[in-house]
Amino acid sequence: MSKNGSIVFVVDDDPAMRISLESLLQSVGHTVAAFETARDFRLAPRPDLPSCLVLDVRLPGQSGLEFQREIGRTDSPPPIVFITGHGDVPMSVAAMKAGAVEFLTKPFRDQDLIDGVHRAIELDRRRRAKAAMLAELRERVATMTPREREILPLVAAGRMNKQIAQTLQLSEVTVKVHRAQVMQKLRANSVADLVRIADRLAALEPEAQMDDTSV
Amino acid sequence: MSANELTPGGLSPLVSPPARSQLRLAACLSALLIGALLVAAPYARQPTVNTEALLPAYASAVLVIELLTSALLMALFSVHRSRPILLLAVGYLFSGIMAVPWALTFPGVFDEPVLGDALQSTASIAAIRRLGFPLFVIGYAVLSDRKFPPGSARRIILLSVSGVLTIVSLLTWVIVSNDDALPKFMIDARNVSGLWRFVPATAIGLYLIGLILLGLRRRSMLDIWLMVVLFTLMIEIMLISYISGAIRLSVGWWAGRFYGLASASLVLLVLLSEATTVHARLALSVLAERRARQNRLTAMEALSASIAHEVNQPLASMVTNASAGLRWLERDQPRIDEAKAALGRIVSEGHRASKVVTGIRTMFLKGAQEREPLNLNDLIETVLAQCETEARLGRITVSTALANDLPHVVGNPLQLQQVITNLVDNAIDAMRGIPDPRQMRVTTQCHEFGEVLVMIADNGAGLAAIDKDRIFDPFYTTKPDGMGMGLMFCRTAIEAHGGRLWASDNTPHGAVFQFTLPAALTKPNDAELVR
Repeated sequence: MSKNGSIVFVVDDDPAMRISLESLLQSVGHTVAAFETARDFRLAPRPDLPSCLVLDVRLPGQSGLEFQREIGRTDSPPPIVFITGHGDVPMSVAAMKAGAVEFLTKPFRDQDLIDGVHRAIELDRRRRAKAAMLAELRERVATMTPREREILPLVAAGRMNKQIAQTLQLSEVTVKVHRAQVMQKLRANSVADLVRIADRLAALEPEAQMDDTSV
Repeated sequence: MSANELTPGGLSPLVSPPARSQLRLAACLSALLIGALLVAAPYARQPTVNTEALLPAYASAVLVIELLTSALLMALFSVHRSRPILLLAVGYLFSGIMAVPWALTFPGVFDEPVLGDALQSTASIAAIRRLGFPLFVIGYAVLSDRKFPPGSARRIILLSVSGVLTIVSLLTWVIVSNDDALPKFMIDARNVSGLWRFVPATAIGLYLIGLILLGLRRRSMLDIWLMVVLFTLMIEIMLISYISGAIRLSVGWWAGRFYGLASASLVLLVLLSEATTVHARLALSVLAERRARQNRLTAMEALSASIAHEVNQPLASMVTNASAGLRWLERDQPRIDEAKAALGRIVSEGHRASKVVTGIRTMFLKGAQEREPLNLNDLIETVLAQCETEARLGRITVSTALANDLPHVVGNPLQLQQVITNLVDNAIDAMRGIPDPRQMRVTTQCHEFGEVLVMIADNGAGLAAIDKDRIFDPFYTTKPDGMGMGLMFCRTAIEAHGGRLWASDNTPHGAVFQFTLPAALTKPNDAELVR
């Protein structure tokens, strides 16, 4: 019944609420895995699929907000849709600041939840695609020799072989060979292709942000 | 005192029954006055020189003090609208204002006589003043405590004041202008004639009547202090007229005057001190009342927030289930089974919401006094049947060990059922989120001391030491969405039934809640008949 191969996780300590959420999300075609506590969710194996987490703010023991902070530190955390029993403005602000997709007050409109879940899954899907692409690119760069890495930015900058040979104090033939290697390793079909890849790599270089918000 | 704090009468000790401490104080003061009299007596006949100058000062002191007393009594009257108090206020006003013509006509006080150089006027005015005041006090003691209609106080006060002023002016005018026709009280400026004898004698008679009437009545603190006033006045008249040999401006005469001053101040002092005390007490009680209201408000806010949350939870689940049901039916191939399941959950959640409301109502029900013989085992079975779904959802194994020959208890079935429901719910909640196996055991036993013991044990999270002290307090809760009322209600209800409720640790973990209820004297079989 999986909707385009995604999964929705639900964490709510109230059994009645948990089951109703499960049923509602299943009725629109989601695969749902529901948990009573944050701990159960953490211990459960998670399939490598675009996913989202529907989280109750008030949980016994660790609160939903604490849990949000905790899974925020892990690798590829699922985007969160919060639900709460009482409209608490400061709490919702804190949750949204920490990157929650939606903050719903019980009882909520089913469409709001479904929309929130949909957006969260799309967000996760795009994030995953981007991460996969970048990972592959990084893999390709890893196969390049130091000399080839030196040549790449010069080619991308539009230098002629002759100029590159001069700059790096190499023969023009050697530069030609390296250049062909670079094109092949990065699977670039044209110089224009190579320029685009080089740009992306340059953006990757600072390595700092896997920015979610800009997606 | 505190019982009738809110009635105006209760707030003012002046019109409330006399307190023992006030009686003692009044007695002490009277003794002191007698002591002073004994000390002053030997020097009483010694004449003084040029003390006429003190007389206007004395008269103005009397005027101010008696006017103030009268004003305070009028203020008291405007609140209570009591006729005796008005009469007393008028008496003080009369006595105070009469001091003015008395001083103005006193021979030798002013170089230029203000109101004519008449020998007899002063004595006549003094006689009227002296005899008038006790008459007012007697009137005060005799008059029934009927009240004037509300809203009339201001008019009555104005009328009384203007009446007193008119009468005093007329009297003064008549006396001053007909000096020759007045009784011959004085031989010369300093010595009285034989005729004067009758004035102090009558005055003492009036004082005695007043004292007796007040003593018989003794309705209020004011009565007691008026008795002291009359007593002081009596000493005054004795000093002035007998002990000093009725010589004006002698030591005894002046001593008498100061007794008069003391007597005039007495009621004023009492009124002032009472006013201050009452004001301070009022301020305190207003403060306390405000604080209490604040506390009640906070408690009510917390309570209503908790109730709202408690009811909102099943509502949210019902709405979600209803949405899910609709969506199952709206699919291209409608899923009747899923929609049915969702509807079923709506039904049970509706019951849950109603249970919350019933719980709250039972908690605050006024008519929860109706009691009947009950079998606790039956109640427990009912509760467990109601909680069955919840227990199953929580993967909890419920076991019971109910004593077969359990005696009945006499109690309110609604309240006791609510107590058991709360305890079972708590046990289920406590086991949420702990690893399996989750077990709840409900036990009933009959104790030899004529008590029935109910034990509800879980192997859940258990109680922290700090919680154990406070879980029965209102608004104290360990649940993320609890209202902190459940256990408080349980303990209150059990104690109202003459039982006890307490919590202890279960082994290896979890909590045990136990309560006892006194067994009914009837045997179970007879109890059936009673019902």
